[in-house]
Amino acid sequence: MKTPSSPRFRYTAVLSAAAALAALLIGASQIGVDGKPATDATTTTTVPAAPSAPEASLFAGLAQRGGALGSAQAPVTLVEYADLQCPYCAQWSRDTLPMLVENYVKTGKLRIVFRGLAFIGPDSDKALRTVISAGERDHLWDVVHGLYLNQGPENTGWVTDELVRELAAGVQGLDGDELINARWDDAVASEIERAAQAAQTAGVNGTPAFQVGPTGGSLELVQVDSLGPEGIVPAIEAALAR
Amino acid sequence: MSERILRAASAGLAAVGAAITGYLLYARETGAELVCTTGGCETVQSSAYADVLGVPVAALGFAGFLGLLVAAVGRGEWARLGQATLALAAFLFGGYLLYIQLAVIHAVCQWCLATDLITTAIAALALLRLRPGAPAPPAAASPARPSPTAPSRAGPAGPLR
Repeated sequence: MKTPSSPRFRYTAVLSAAAALAALLIGASQIGVDGKPATDATTTTTVPAAPSAPEASLFAGLAQRGGALGSAQAPVTLVEYADLQCPYCAQWSRDTLPMLVENYVKTGKLRIVFRGLAFIGPDSDKALRTVISAGERDHLWDVVHGLYLNQGPENTGWVTDELVRELAAGVQGLDGDELINARWDDAVASEIERAAQAAQTAGVNGTPAFQVGPTGGSLELVQVDSLGPEGIVPAIEAALAR
Repeated sequence: MSERILRAASAGLAAVGAAITGYLLYARETGAELVCTTGGCETVQSSAYADVLGVPVAALGFAGFLGLLVAAVGRGEWARLGQATLALAAFLFGGYLLYIQLAVIHAVCQWCLATDLITTAIAALALLRLRPGAPAPPAAASPARPSPTAPSRAGPAGPLR
């Protein structure tokens, strides 16, 4: 086969082909982010639809696997025990979680694990089953944060199917009806049981409650006297310093 | 700079790039902890941008560097064209990934930066190799080799990590 001999033609051909190839890769990369299948391990949070939406970038680019947020190789793990109807849990999620995500999870220092409890009432159970269903699709944290931002008065029926659909619609790869239908899966019930047993073993007697320690090692229950970052950060820093 | 030096330098850089991306791929597949002084390697490697259509970017990079190595070793016009095309595409895609690290993920991976630098250097060498008046490749060094003008297989293009 003859090769192009004109220098200008050669450069034009090379540049055009390279630009086309790069554009193809960049386009494919975007499909990988925006159209991620539900079972994929990394989060692709966009803004959940109304009513209230978490910050679009809070979990962007972070791995979610089941109830875990962040790298599995992070040196320190923080376990959060929470009831999705607990107002203090919602306050912690609003006031402290974004700071932890930005400063510790995104930097690979911390992995956060959500263990949900449902002791306040029927809406707790419905909300918990919804987020565990989302966790099975590796989007638990998107839905947890969205529910906290839209938390209603206890047991008033605020965890509506409409709210679940609206939150799911804001997360690429998540289908609200799928979440609602999966609430009664055996796997969801098993996960609720596991979290309840873990809370009992850890000695949790209120929410939010936290355990901190080396990833894969022994975690210690931390008594927090503040729902702001100053309540939990010292325990995280101490675990990192070990 | 002679064709021989350009090819040797390109091949050496491509081999280093393949080693780096091979290491990233190995760490990903085995769960081994990455050596990282910038603190952002895990964040970048576990981000939504670490895969392209389900294929690890590290695997694409590894394939891309192998392609660049083949093109650098190959002789003739098609090898030069293939090397320049692949290197420039990798340079552009690497620039895009660097933007993603800085503006979206807010974390930087040192290994990705290293492959970006290698890609940039290979692209520059490839353009030098392609320039008008560049010394023609020497006549077939060994009669046993195929024709120096035979098309080389640049392999699938890929990003460089």
